[in-house]
Amino acid sequence: MALISLKNIFNKKNVFSSLLDTLSEQLGTRLLVTDAGGVVVYNNNPPQQEVQYSLEIDGEIVGYVKGDSKSKTVADLLVTLLQKENEKKKLGKEVLNLYKEINVIFDFSEKLAQTIDAVAIARIALIEAGQLVHSDGGVVILWDENSGKLQPVALNGDVFFNLEKVNEGVGLLLRIVLSGQSEITSDISALKETGIISEKVSSIIYGALKVNHRVMGAIILADYQAGQYSAGDLKLLTTIALQSSSAIESALLYEKNIREAKEKEEAMRRIYEVTGRFVPFEFIRSLGHERITQVKLGDNVERIVTVLFSDIRDYTGLAEQLSPQENFNFVRSFNEMMGPVIRNNSGFINQYLGDAIMAIFPGNAGDALKAAVEMQIKMFDFNHKRNIEGRRMVQIGIGLHTGPLIMGIIGDADRMDAATLSDTVNIAARLEGLTKYYKAGILVSDDAIRYMSFPDSFHLRYLGRVQLKGKKAPVGVHECFSGNIQQDLDHKLTTLALFNDGIEYYVTKSFDKAGDAFKRIIEIHPGDLTAKLFLNNANHYMQSGVPENWAGVEEMLFK
Amino acid sequence: MPQKILIVDDESHIRMLINQTLEELEDEGVEFLSADNGEAALDLIQDEKPDLVFLDVMMPKMNGMEVCRRVKKELKFNDVFIVLLTAKGQEMDRQRGQEVGADVYMTKPFDPEAILNKAKQVLGIN
Repeated sequence: MALISLKNIFNKKNVFSSLLDTLSEQLGTRLLVTDAGGVVVYNNNPPQQEVQYSLEIDGEIVGYVKGDSKSKTVADLLVTLLQKENEKKKLGKEVLNLYKEINVIFDFSEKLAQTIDAVAIARIALIEAGQLVHSDGGVVILWDENSGKLQPVALNGDVFFNLEKVNEGVGLLLRIVLSGQSEITSDISALKETGIISEKVSSIIYGALKVNHRVMGAIILADYQAGQYSAGDLKLLTTIALQSSSAIESALLYEKNIREAKEKEEAMRRIYEVTGRFVPFEFIRSLGHERITQVKLGDNVERIVTVLFSDIRDYTGLAEQLSPQENFNFVRSFNEMMGPVIRNNSGFINQYLGDAIMAIFPGNAGDALKAAVEMQIKMFDFNHKRNIEGRRMVQIGIGLHTGPLIMGIIGDADRMDAATLSDTVNIAARLEGLTKYYKAGILVSDDAIRYMSFPDSFHLRYLGRVQLKGKKAPVGVHECFSGNIQQDLDHKLTTLALFNDGIEYYVTKSFDKAGDAFKRIIEIHPGDLTAKLFLNNANHYMQSGVPENWAGVEEMLFK
Repeated sequence: MPQKILIVDDESHIRMLINQTLEELEDEGVEFLSADNGEAALDLIQDEKPDLVFLDVMMPKMNGMEVCRRVKKELKFNDVFIVLLTAKGQEMDRQRGQEVGADVYMTKPFDPEAILNKAKQVLGIN
């Protein structure tokens, strides 16, 4: 079909008119040119119009040259020129059509870029495909690797597809969906027989959704008329499929990431719930984090804290009489009893070490001592019950020390553990060990007392200084007897001044005076085993003398 | 006096595309002019006083912004309707386009429909 208009050409191109002027002059003729409808576009007034030559372009007459026989040359030349013009127009039209397609695809890409939902992308792709390629209906099917099923995710136009049967005739459809090919096909009898597509469909065209040979599904368009689809349609559909493939993949990846992130979050939440009991929140918070998931290897913080170390005295002997299960039950009920005491006093349990408990009190050291006293009181109730049940009494020793503590995460990236590294812990543990030696329920270091806001609210007895193994400076030690039963407590209060005197004599090597003081205490309070210890020590030193350089410091080499 | 549209772009295929897009206006007697650089465009605008100019921004010799500025601000050819065309992603030019007096601003790849409608509207053709 000719695309040109003679009228427009002669209007636009003066060259045509001037060319005809020159030609007719040279040929010695005059002529008249009209368009197909008879409108004159050129006229240099021929005397007669005996001959008429038609101007035929692409089998269509676009105009006439009228004049004499010499006009034929002009007509031939005009046809050649018009053909060129026509070609140019055709080319222009084709380019414009291509440009329009590019424009659509460009818009399409923009729309895709704004979408992160795979199903929405499939829908956009299908609608765009429907605009560029004629069809009575369309469907986008995705292959779900997890379920091993085909999933129609978008529909457009008539529903030619039996959604329920999609996965029944999987083999047939898979050939299309997973072929990775884009094709036009009219051989769809098998699909019709299985009822997957409607009887009315005569031709289908499909474009594979794939990224780097990984096939994700296909866009399928159907037409009720046979032979409707051209290579151009296939090219467009392939382009759309290609464009949407990467977008769908990104969307699926995004969805997968979101899902995984949620799962991870959920898993972390569960871990957190569980670990919260083992790794106290206070510990994590003291590292400057809000949650355990933020904790990194190497995180650490140094604080002045009070460490409470408690241990069941002679637990080994107790444990020997129990089955492993009874043992476990015992330790569990013991820890269940003590855990709340520590938490209620602003401490947190850093570690359960079998029958031992290591707790940290970040605030006032008095909190720790209060907890220790309450723990000892708990033990009375606990033992009272055991006594009724005819069981053996259980005693605990508690050591308290205040000092710097590094709390941090150690281990490797796969197995991280919360750890507390410091001398403070060791000293607290050693003091706990000394409770047995001093026959005291609670031993508190000088440093711990220094960090207490109200040390006077506790009943304390100074026991002198002790040289702990591996430590340079001796540690001043105090017994706290606030948790003693009322009778002992009263006695210890009554004899407190005497006891203080005794210790004073003792550390200044006045062992006879010291011995007298402790003897008097024992007369008043025979149950004061600590006084008995000092009396024995005083007697021992009086008999065998004290080591050189003895400065009233007990050398504790065994613990 | 026929109405005139001037198409200015250094890329011949863009000129061809716009020409092709507006082809149907030929039937209305609209005359088409074209230029492939800013200087030539400015000369043509002064000589021919086109009704409508599609003016590319990025061009050799004199860019579209400068052409527009001279036409609107110096020559004060207010009857020449100027459509500035620029590549997508250079939308920051929009404000400068307004400063130099452009009437309308469009981005490439342009929507052929929009170009045709704009031309019809400016020339008063239905």
